[in-house]
Amino acid sequence: MRAATSHPRRALVTRRIGWTAAAVAALLLSVLLSLAVGARTTAPSEVIDVLLHGGHSDAAEVVRTMRVPRTLIGLMVGAALALAGTVLQGITRNPIADPGILGISQGASVGVVLAIAFAGIHSLSGYVWFAFAGAALASVAVYAVAASGRGGATPVKLALGGAAINALLASVTMAVLTTQAAALDEFRFWQVGSVAGRDAEVVGQIWPFLLAGVVLVASVARGLDALALGEDVAKGLGQNVATVRIVGGIGATVLTGAGVAAAGTIAFVGLAVPHIARAIVGSDHRWVLPMAALIGPVMLLVSDVVGRIVFPPGEVPAGVMTALIGVPFLVALVRRKAVPA
Amino acid sequence: MTTDATAGVRPAGYALVRAGRGRFLLHRRAAVVAGSLALVLAGVCVAYLCVGESSVPPAEVLKVLFGQPSANELVVGTLRLPRMTVGLLVGAAFAVAGALIQTVARNPLASPDIIGVSQGASALTVGAMTFGITSYAVLPYLSVAGGVLAAALVYAFAWRGGLHATRFVLIGIGFAIALRSITHLFLTKGDYLVAQQAQIWMTGSLNGRGWDEAAPLAWVLLAMLPAVLWATRAQRSVSLDDDTATALGVRLGRVRLGLVLTGVVLASVATGTAGPVDFVALLAPQIARRMTRTAQIPLLCSALTGALVVVLADLLAKRLLSPTELPVGVLTAAVGAPYLIWLIVKGRTGGKA
Repeated sequence: MRAATSHPRRALVTRRIGWTAAAVAALLLSVLLSLAVGARTTAPSEVIDVLLHGGHSDAAEVVRTMRVPRTLIGLMVGAALALAGTVLQGITRNPIADPGILGISQGASVGVVLAIAFAGIHSLSGYVWFAFAGAALASVAVYAVAASGRGGATPVKLALGGAAINALLASVTMAVLTTQAAALDEFRFWQVGSVAGRDAEVVGQIWPFLLAGVVLVASVARGLDALALGEDVAKGLGQNVATVRIVGGIGATVLTGAGVAAAGTIAFVGLAVPHIARAIVGSDHRWVLPMAALIGPVMLLVSDVVGRIVFPPGEVPAGVMTALIGVPFLVALVRRKAVPA
Repeated sequence: MTTDATAGVRPAGYALVRAGRGRFLLHRRAAVVAGSLALVLAGVCVAYLCVGESSVPPAEVLKVLFGQPSANELVVGTLRLPRMTVGLLVGAAFAVAGALIQTVARNPLASPDIIGVSQGASALTVGAMTFGITSYAVLPYLSVAGGVLAAALVYAFAWRGGLHATRFVLIGIGFAIALRSITHLFLTKGDYLVAQQAQIWMTGSLNGRGWDEAAPLAWVLLAMLPAVLWATRAQRSVSLDDDTATALGVRLGRVRLGLVLTGVVLASVATGTAGPVDFVALLAPQIARRMTRTAQIPLLCSALTGALVVVLADLLAKRLLSPTELPVGVLTAAVGAPYLIWLIVKGRTGGKA
């Protein structure tokens, strides 16, 4: 029996390693593109030269002061949102769960809207803390709603509680925006989601959170696999279901907070990347999580690069391009095979 | 297990209703909930007609409603009644649309804005606004067209030898986000006056709506009534898993297409009238279902809940910051979401969708 199953198993591992290597290559390529392409296109060889040896030519300055931070933000945000989406879909066992639909992004938005309208904060690095606080409060509220009552935080109650909190927070956002014209004027640009115009300071504010989120999420990978089989089976496998949900949820919140704070509400990555990753490497979260962390930044960086060149001289924000570029991939992959719901 | 043949088989919680030779089962709790909702809705409607810039006593409101001469004919009959009618119809339409799409998708998070109806409507409408088309004679038709088009695209892409629920929802949500991105792009490209007008439209508003908007909406909904009645029965077959339904001889593909089509038309028409008042479609069916505790989403109770949420929200939107009127969409979630949260917290159905 074992001999019979070992061969397909080896084939699966080979496939997973192959795809992961391909994803790493794609990521390196998109980083290079993100550093080289723009209003002033720099040759890849020159980019590498600047990164290794510095220099003070115009091209070097552009790459160092503008494109390096932008690329770093794209890398971090793409990975953060993709990981957050993967974990949230695992926790709620709902294929359309993502930071947006569960109210976490909306919480960050409320934080930013209130900061603009009532605290007089108008800088990206100022938004960050408000976005974080909003995301954290939203998550706590969703979990509190879902965990109360009979049966604890079941997947359905988490999903519905998230939807209800999301609706509530959306009405707060809308109330402020429809009554404060000036806030709308500023907020609509943040809301679209972009990785442009962020400086190194934002990178410095974000990375500790990203690291903490990754550690939390990685620690529940096995738990998510067990949870996919249903709560009773997960318990039978010795997993503490509540702990998996809470730790995973905190991880997803920290990641979403970091991502949204740095780049606004970029919707598509958290929803689509987990499905694309699962379509490629199967349902084992120890493979899906790293894969998502690789594909997320690829999607975001490529979208950002395309957004720089598609309608010159202006730029299309990454948040807009992501969905437009990502949809064909999602459709193709989802049509190709039965989706594990 | 001997059952009295004349009594028929009655599942727990159902009453057997006889009408001549026909018999059907009535879910007792659902009937009670529907009755209570109707009463509350009637009360809220009278309150809606009473309250405003000038208060009208309830007795006078009833006079106007029953066509008796009254000094308040203008305020109640001409100003408030048509707007309230639009609110009732829009709320009911969104709620039923949400219920049908949630049923087909087998997902409580699904709603017309998940499969791109609202986003398609918004993209076309806001795009038109950005290019200087701001006449309310044209915009509603554009949003209906946008909604139906978007849903048709999603259906076409999700169809592959059948309509798999998860595939449908995923492709829908992908399109929805892409279309929303396009809308945001229009918003950042236009000047901020257009952005503000678009924002209000996208929030959903009943401001300035009257008989001109209510009449076509009412006709369309009346025309859709047979489809909705069919849907109440068809819902049951779709809620089973695919294999069981197929084994029972249900033509899943057709039934799903019918349900989605009904839901999309209802949502598109409601969006054209009032803008995408999104959360009604998401919240109302779930509120109704948690109240009735039925296996399927109850359509009548959903419609009543949706109507109640929108009318109550519009009443608050008109009076909360008067003389400033808020768009109704700002408050629909504020009215509906807390109640749903309370139902979840108090809920006796832990694991059910």
